Amino acid sequence: MAHWLRSYALLLKWNVLGLRLMLPFFVAVQVVLSVGIVVGFSFLVPDLDRTAALYLSTGAPTVNLVLVGMVLTPNGISTKKQTGAFDHQRALPVPRLALLAADTTLWIAAAVPGVVAGLGVAVLRFDISLTIGWTAVPALLLVALTCTTLGYALAYTATPMVTALVAQMVVFFTLMFSPINFPADRLPEWFQAVHAVLPFAPMAQAVRESLAVPPGGPAVLPFAVLAAYCALGFAVSYAAMLRRP
Amino acid sequence: MAVLEVDHLVKRYRRGPRANDGVTLRAEEGEVLGLLGHNGAGKTTLINQVVGLARPTSGTIRLAGGDPVADPASARAACALMPQSQVPLDGITPRQAVETTARIRGAPRQRARARTGDLLAALDIEEWADTAGEHLSGGVRRLTAFAMTAAEPGRLVIMDEPTNDVDPVRRRLLWAQVRALAAGGRAVLLVTHNVAEAERSADRLAVMDSGRVVAEGTPAGLRAGVAGDLRLDLLMADADAPEVAFAGAGRPHRVGRRIIVPLPADAADAALACAQRLRAAGRIEEFALTPVSLEDVYIGLVGGGSEEGHHGALAA
Repeated sequence: MAHWLRSYALLLKWNVLGLRLMLPFFVAVQVVLSVGIVVGFSFLVPDLDRTAALYLSTGAPTVNLVLVGMVLTPNGISTKKQTGAFDHQRALPVPRLALLAADTTLWIAAAVPGVVAGLGVAVLRFDISLTIGWTAVPALLLVALTCTTLGYALAYTATPMVTALVAQMVVFFTLMFSPINFPADRLPEWFQAVHAVLPFAPMAQAVRESLAVPPGGPAVLPFAVLAAYCALGFAVSYAAMLRRP
Repeated sequence: MAVLEVDHLVKRYRRGPRANDGVTLRAEEGEVLGLLGHNGAGKTTLINQVVGLARPTSGTIRLAGGDPVADPASARAACALMPQSQVPLDGITPRQAVETTARIRGAPRQRARARTGDLLAALDIEEWADTAGEHLSGGVRRLTAFAMTAAEPGRLVIMDEPTNDVDPVRRRLLWAQVRALAAGGRAVLLVTHNVAEAERSADRLAVMDSGRVVAEGTPAGLRAGVAGDLRLDLLMADADAPEVAFAGAGRPHRVGRRIIVPLPADAADAALACAQRLRAAGRIEEFALTPVSLEDVYIGLVGGGSEEGHHGALAA
């Protein structure tokens, strides 16, 4: 365990040093995106009722975590693969899980300012009051972990070109066609069925119901679905990490 | 004592040829073993199996008493690898990179710091010790990668083309550190295309070709094994190749306008006479009679394809 923690801490240090120059830029982009979703969508929909405002406010952090986990993270891994940093780290005598954990920690930490800024601006812009439940942090963390492990799984198994393309699709799909920023019943039925098996709707629901807790408390099912997706992403990433061709 | 023992190692990638086709070699404590071979000879495939990044199709590897196939984690702890590609150092200074790598490899903080200072001084790159990687020249980055590998090296140190991009003066400093690693009881596996450097720096050489070790021995031993001690090197006067015939002459081969003829030492007089006759007749512009170099031996071993191609590749 001591070896694990020591490896994790040193790898994290290495990652922070390596991304030191880019990190402020990443964080700035996250904040702009998060705030942009709240402000930008309110231009699209001129007369926001309370429901729409609630979806936009709580959707912003979810979209933010999806972008960090499923776009920035896989692109970061692709870059590491191309520069040789990936193989270099794999040849070090460190536990494979510590490699994965050190990367994940950095990306999730980079998402925090964007999440906070998006929520803050939403509360001010729409003048809504959130009732933040105890599940808020676990929900955000679970969404972040699910997105990063799925992002990893993508980057580890696909070529950099395919990874970049899929990441582009994810941005488009989450922003425009996922019931994150609007209720699912606005989508055609067949598309609702598609979202019943994808992780985006459960992500949005878990975050929404943790930041604006409904009378009966947050539903359990989205958490369970996310946990399953997280486990899947983790299993694929870990297997790719251990893989010896 | 053998630190690395590779026995009948076969590695076949899916839908590919055999990258390693029965490789057997040993690297002893305190020795620098040079591994020579063309691109695609199977050197990198061999290394990846030793450090536990690839799995052999068949055969065995013993590294410091452990089995990298069954226990890749122990292999990575026992062996430090300097890969052929540049180690990415963006945002990281040489001092941070070397010290952090030493600590990742298990050195306590004080020892990592001291060893880092010593290595940066020994390689004469202290001037850039605190410059971020993106501002460093290729050579300094290469030397940093070497220092990262040598800082807390384990029992086996593997270096893939360590001197690429490094200036001649610092190359010598690097080789001195390689020798110091061996003197400290490590086995060093040095992978290179550079025959001249391998000859000077390695205690023993293994030559790989098409996934096999085709020759192994000391540089002197390998030279002794080749037919002919000398070679006659002729530069043709025009495109018309003259016939080179004298007692004891080996099979001539042509490289552009050059003709190279191997010969035993006792045929030297006859060779000189033949060369002078050809020059007097205006058939050649100049000639040289030289001892066989390890490069000649190497080309003889891995030859095949056009002679010109091999010479061209080595000269490049």
